[in-house]
Amino acid sequence: MMRSNYRKNYYGYLFIAPFVIGFLVFGLYPLYNTIALSFTNTTMMKADGAFVGLQNFERLFADKTFFTAITNTWSLWLMNFIPQLGIALLLSVWFTNTRLRIKGGGIWRMLFYMPNLLMPSAIAALYFSLFSYYGPVNQFMVRADLLPEAVDFIRSPDVMRGLVVFIQWWMWFGQTTILIMAGMTSISVSVYEAAIIDGASIWQMFRYVTLPLIKPVMIFILVTSLVGGMQMFDIPFLLTDGRGSPANSILTSNIMMYMRFRSSQGHIGAASAVGVVVFIMTSFVALLIFYLLREKSDKKVKEVRS
Amino acid sequence: MKRLLFVFSILLIASMMLGACAKAAPTEAPADVPPADAPTDVPAAELPTTPPPAEGKTVLNVWSFTNEILTMGVAFEKTHPDVDVIYTMIPMTNGEYQTKLMATLGTDAVPDVVALEAAFVKSYVESDFLADLSDMMPLAEELKMYPFVYEVGTVDGITKAYAYQATPGALFYRRSLAKEYFGTDDPVEMQAILGDMDKYVAAAEVVKTKSNGDTFMVASNGDFMNLFYANREQPWVVDDTLTVDPMVDKMVETVKIFRDNGYEAKATQWQEGWFAGMNDSLKDAEGNAKKIFSYFLPTWGLPYVLAPNATSADGASTTVGDWAVITGPLPYQWGGTWLGVMKDTKQAELAREFVRFCTLDEENLTNWATGVYTNEYLKAIDPNVPDDQYQAAGDFVGSQVVVEKITASFDDSELSKFLGGQNSYGGFAAAAPTVNARLMQGSDDAIQRALNDPLNSYLEGTVTLDEMWTLWKDAVRNEFPELIIP
Repeated sequence: MMRSNYRKNYYGYLFIAPFVIGFLVFGLYPLYNTIALSFTNTTMMKADGAFVGLQNFERLFADKTFFTAITNTWSLWLMNFIPQLGIALLLSVWFTNTRLRIKGGGIWRMLFYMPNLLMPSAIAALYFSLFSYYGPVNQFMVRADLLPEAVDFIRSPDVMRGLVVFIQWWMWFGQTTILIMAGMTSISVSVYEAAIIDGASIWQMFRYVTLPLIKPVMIFILVTSLVGGMQMFDIPFLLTDGRGSPANSILTSNIMMYMRFRSSQGHIGAASAVGVVVFIMTSFVALLIFYLLREKSDKKVKEVRS
Repeated sequence: MKRLLFVFSILLIASMMLGACAKAAPTEAPADVPPADAPTDVPAAELPTTPPPAEGKTVLNVWSFTNEILTMGVAFEKTHPDVDVIYTMIPMTNGEYQTKLMATLGTDAVPDVVALEAAFVKSYVESDFLADLSDMMPLAEELKMYPFVYEVGTVDGITKAYAYQATPGALFYRRSLAKEYFGTDDPVEMQAILGDMDKYVAAAEVVKTKSNGDTFMVASNGDFMNLFYANREQPWVVDDTLTVDPMVDKMVETVKIFRDNGYEAKATQWQEGWFAGMNDSLKDAEGNAKKIFSYFLPTWGLPYVLAPNATSADGASTTVGDWAVITGPLPYQWGGTWLGVMKDTKQAELAREFVRFCTLDEENLTNWATGVYTNEYLKAIDPNVPDDQYQAAGDFVGSQVVVEKITASFDDSELSKFLGGQNSYGGFAAAAPTVNARLMQGSDDAIQRALNDPLNSYLEGTVTLDEMWTLWKDAVRNEFPELIIP
C-alpha cells in the first residue's frame, strides 16, 4: 500500500511540473524582479542601478498625472465592463432559453466573438482614420447635416474616451457571453424543470436558479476582467499618440508605465514602481471580490449539522 | 477545499499575468489572453529579414528602422563577398525600434551595427554602449563631411557615430499657386517674399484672401516645430534643469496665429490629410477642394515624402512639376540617420568597416546619391532582394567633396523635373554648411513630443497658455523623473 501511494504522488508531481516550472520562470521570477527593480533607479542605458529605497514611489505619489492615470483606468474599465456584463447576461439567457429556441446559436456565438480575433493595432488604426479631421465620419456627418462643421474628434477627450470604452466593450462582450453561456448550459435541466413545476416565472428562474449557479463563472469573469482592465494598454496606446492624448484623457496606468520604460534613458526602475502599485491595487480588489462573493452556505450547512 | 483551490488558481493566473506583463508589453484583456498579441511585439517577428546566412560567410547583423540601409548592406556584400549582411528592420512609429534595441543592450542579442535616428542618436552617443570610432575622423576630414554629420555622433571629444546624409531643411511651395497669389514662381523672388517669419505670416494672409480661404499656407502645425526648435539658442536641458528658449515661445505664438486666422489646414503631420494636400486631393468635410501652399520639409522629404505622394492614389490629380524649393523663413535641419557600432559586438572590425563604407566611402556615397543602386543592380548581387528595394537619385549626402562633384548631374534629373527644372541639390549644398547640431540632446524627442498634446489643446482653446505649460511640465516629469523642472 505504502509503495503504491508513493508512486502515485511521484507521478502527480511530474504532471504538474510543466506548469510549476513555467510559473516560476515566467510568473514568479518576473514578479519578484519587478518588485526588486522598483526600489532602484536602474535605466536601460546605464549598466548599473543603485538602491534608492522608496524614492520611486514617493515621486509617483507626488505626481498628479499618476492619479489621473489610475482614475482613467478605473473609469474606462467600469464603463465598458458593466454594459459588457449586462449584454452578455441578456444574450446568454436568450441563447440558452429552451422556450425561445434561437436558431444558429453557433453562428451567433462566432459573430459575437469575432472582434476579439482582430488585432488591436488594426482596430485602433481603423478607428483613428474613421474619426480623423479629414476622415469619413466627419464627411458623412457634415454632408448629412448632422453636424454644422467638421469636428476634430481626435482632439476631443469625451469622444476618445467613449471610443476606447466602445472598442473594449465591442472586443470583449463576445468572450464574456461565451463564458456565461458555458456556465448556464452546464446547469442541469432538471433544476429548471423542478422550478417550472413549482410555478416559477422566467425572472424567478433567472434570479434564484441561474444566477446562484453561475456564480463561480461570474467570479472568474469579474477577476480576469479586472486584471485585464487594470492593464488596459493597447487600444488607448495605439488610438492616439501613445501618450494618452488628448489632454491625458485616455492615459492608463500601463501607458504611464510604458512611457517610463521607453523614455530616452529607459527608466525601468520608475516603470516597475508603477507596475508594483498596479499589482497591489489589483490583488487587493481581486481578494475583496472573493471575500464579498464567498460561498456563505458552508457555514449554514455546519449549523444544520451541529 | 475546492473553493480554496479555485481562489488559489485564480490568484496564480492573476499574478502570472501581472508578473509577465510587467516585463513584456502589457495587453488589455478582460480574460486570460497571452501577452503575445501585444502590438509592440508584432513587427519584429513579422518583418521580412534576409534569409539565413550562407555557409562560410561572416555574418554581420545590422538593425535599422527603415529599409534604406538594406541597399547599403547589399552594396557592401558586393565589395566584401565573404560577408553576409543580416538586415533587421523594426519600425519606429511608436518607438518600437528604440524599445527593441534597448532591450538587447548587455545581452547576446545585441546587433553589430545600429542605425540611430536624430530623435535618439544622442542618448546612445552619450551612453557607454557604442564603440569609439574616432580613428575614422581623418577620413571624414578628407571627404569634407559637413560638421553636423559627426558632431552629433561626438561626445567629450570621442566620435561614436557617423551619418551618410546631411539634412538641412527647406520650404517647398506650389509654383502655380505662387504665380496666382504673388505674381511669380521664381525661387529667388519667392525667397524675398517669404524670407523671414513676419513675411511668412503676411504672405499667409495674402494666400487666404486671394484664395477666398480655399488655400492654406501650411497643412499642419507640426510643420513648424523643427523650424523653431532648430533655431533655439539654449538646449532643453541646461544643468539638469528644463529650459524654455524664447524661440519655443515664438513657435507657440506663431502656430496660434496660424490656427486662429485659418492659415493652417488642421491636418495632422504624417496623416491622411497632410499627405492629401501634397497631391491636391484634400477635401474638407463638405467635399470642397482645399489646397496647401507650402510644406516645410528637409532634404530627405523631397525623395521620400513629397515626390512619392505628389500623385493621388487613383492617379486623378498630380502636382509633379509644380513644386519649387527655397530656404524659407528660417534655416533649420531635421532628422538624419547615424550609424554606430555596438561595443559588445563580436565583429568589431567588420562592423567598423561597414560604417566606414556607408558613411565615409566616396564611391558608395556617390552611387547612393546618383541612383546607381537600382533594383537590378541589387538583384545582381543578391537575388533575394525585394522587388521594391532600390535607392532613387537625390538623397543629400554628408560629404562636401561628393556633393560638389555630383551637383551638376542633377540639372536635368527626374528630381529637377519634379521641381519645375530647379536643381534642389545646389540649394541644399548652399544651406548645409550653416546647419549645426550643437543643441541636440538625448532627451529632445521626448520633451518635444510631450508638448504636442498640450499645444493642441491650447490651439483648440480648451486650456490657457499657462495651463498648457503646466500640462507639458507634468508630462515631461513623467518621463524624466530626475530632471529639475522649474
